[in-house]
Amino acid sequence: QSFKLLGFLDVQSVPCARESVLYGSLGSLVVGLGHFLATSRVRRSCDFAVGGFISTMLGYWFYCRYNLAQQRIRQRMLKEGMKNRILFEGSYLDPEKNQTGNERSDS
Amino acid sequence: MANHSQFGFQDASSPIMEELVEFHDHALMVALAICSLVLYLLALMLMEKLSSNTVDAQEVELIWTILPAIVLIMLALPSLQILYMMDEIDEPDLTLKAIGHQWYWTYEYTDFKDLTFDSYMLPTADLPLGHFRLLEVDHRIVIPMESPIRVIVTADDVLHSWAVPSLGVKTDAIPGRLNQTSFITTRPGIFYGQCSEICGANHSFMPIVVESAPLTHFESWSSLLSS
Repeated sequence: QSFKLLGFLDVQSVPCARESVLYGSLGSLVVGLGHFLATSRVRRSCDFAVGGFISTMLGYWFYCRYNLAQQRIRQRMLKEGMKNRILFEGSYLDPEKNQTGNERSDS
Repeated sequence: MANHSQFGFQDASSPIMEELVEFHDHALMVALAICSLVLYLLALMLMEKLSSNTVDAQEVELIWTILPAIVLIMLALPSLQILYMMDEIDEPDLTLKAIGHQWYWTYEYTDFKDLTFDSYMLPTADLPLGHFRLLEVDHRIVIPMESPIRVIVTADDVLHSWAVPSLGVKTDAIPGRLNQTSFITTRPGIFYGQCSEICGANHSFMPIVVESAPLTHFESWSSLLSS
């Protein structure tokens, strides 16, 4: 079963969504409460709380998605590397064999 | 293929579809932020007394000009990136022609041999056990996996559209015109699609089935079919 925030964002299956919303809520609480403790102005504190929610949520979202994209690129490079290693191991195209050959010729 | 009552995308089977799914998630997150702000403002307006004292509001006007511009940039940049990615020409290994008819598809593999066949939907009465109703065809398109494939789409009679959601492909089939699309399948499998342009009584009954297989399997299939 999926839980959809506001009826459209599936926080369980979308990567980084759950953490973004949770950190956003935490940020909203910290900023709103902090502003209220400092100024005792309720309405303005609520404005800051909503602003804090949106900016923290989007800020963490961009950070998390950037890291996820980098991880995906590394995964693809690893997958390609593993495939190439299996394909070329022991053949004349094997870079490790060429390196060992060079070491032997140096010694 | 889609499950019953599925609302979201199917699992991506091509790099472009993976990018589209990621962009969709990003767009939904931006939509959540905007909806939260709008809901808050609505609640605020409901609690506010009506007043006609405001004559000048430079600060808020600046905010509601700059903020939408930022939102548009956040959405436009990844969108344009994917748009240009979709138009990249990648030296395809295989060119396949898809011709829409009422109400079936004809596929032509003419790169190496003249291989042409029609693809009709399997009627429900003839469907083997475990196969998908209104999605299975008598002859599937077989393509080699992890190879760039170009599809040239056209139609013979009326408008059709060649669409395979899990590959992120939808191309209109227009009589007298050749439309080109390309994709790479990241994994072997069978991918289903349906005609996506209203074309008459049996528009819902001319599905598309793409079978992605390793190159050796593709070669044996094409030899079998051409002999």
